[in-house]
Amino acid sequence: MKLDPAIRDQVLATVPSLRAFAISLCGNIDRADDLVQETLLRALSHIDSFEPGTNMPAWLFTILRNLFRSEYRKRRREVEDADGRYAESLKSHPEQTGRVEFEEFRTALAKLPADQREALILVGASGFSYEDAASICGCAVGTIKSRVNRARTRLADLLAIDSVDDFGPDRATRAVLAGGGRN
Amino acid sequence: MGERGKNEEMKHRRTNLEPLEQDKPDADKPETLESMGKPATQQKDVRLGREVQARIGQQLRAMYDDFVNQGVPQHITDLVRRLSEQD
Repeated sequence: MKLDPAIRDQVLATVPSLRAFAISLCGNIDRADDLVQETLLRALSHIDSFEPGTNMPAWLFTILRNLFRSEYRKRRREVEDADGRYAESLKSHPEQTGRVEFEEFRTALAKLPADQREALILVGASGFSYEDAASICGCAVGTIKSRVNRARTRLADLLAIDSVDDFGPDRATRAVLAGGGRN
Repeated sequence: MGERGKNEEMKHRRTNLEPLEQDKPDADKPETLESMGKPATQQKDVRLGREVQARIGQQLRAMYDDFVNQGVPQHITDLVRRLSEQD
């Protein structure tokens, strides 16, 4: 049975963001494209399990996220420090993921635990609601909220170290803040 | 449009991020007897936190949009079209 063109168009319309999510997760464009391809193969061969009228992006993101997680677990068994390797792949090949100007941000993002990173990206960049993000990650809404909050707090710490000048406070204020708020 | 203009634009974009716990309105409650003895820098921390968080939101979306705008490789689009034509 041929695919309903309307459904096909929904899939095609989701691919750019799906791919951006994959790149954000993998930190490597080639791996991300493989992941997107595998996701689409799986999705289109199980298109009957998609309920027309429901959220196509959330459905595709769920499949991609699950594929990424199972691959991640496999790799983790092979390589102890999977997160470290992710960070390393960003560091050695910044050109693989895009423009240099985001390098510092991506390096900080790479230092987050995977569950916090995916929650932050889904809500803060892909534009999903906390509810959709929870359903994509298969966890409670409260869990997503706390992962996002922890991710933001950690990123703020990581980014403030290197580029505190971008964040406003003058040197004296920073000295006070760094000194633990002595009065 | 220069980068500065782009960043300005980003600031006005919708985000689904809710305020951090420390940013929520009740964190701004008026000074009470209990809080009066606490260092003023704690309040400064909250304001600094907001700036930093806004900046993180912008950078995250800018990075993501950069990935979106790279476009989709032809072989992936072809794959979807091919699979959707299959019987």
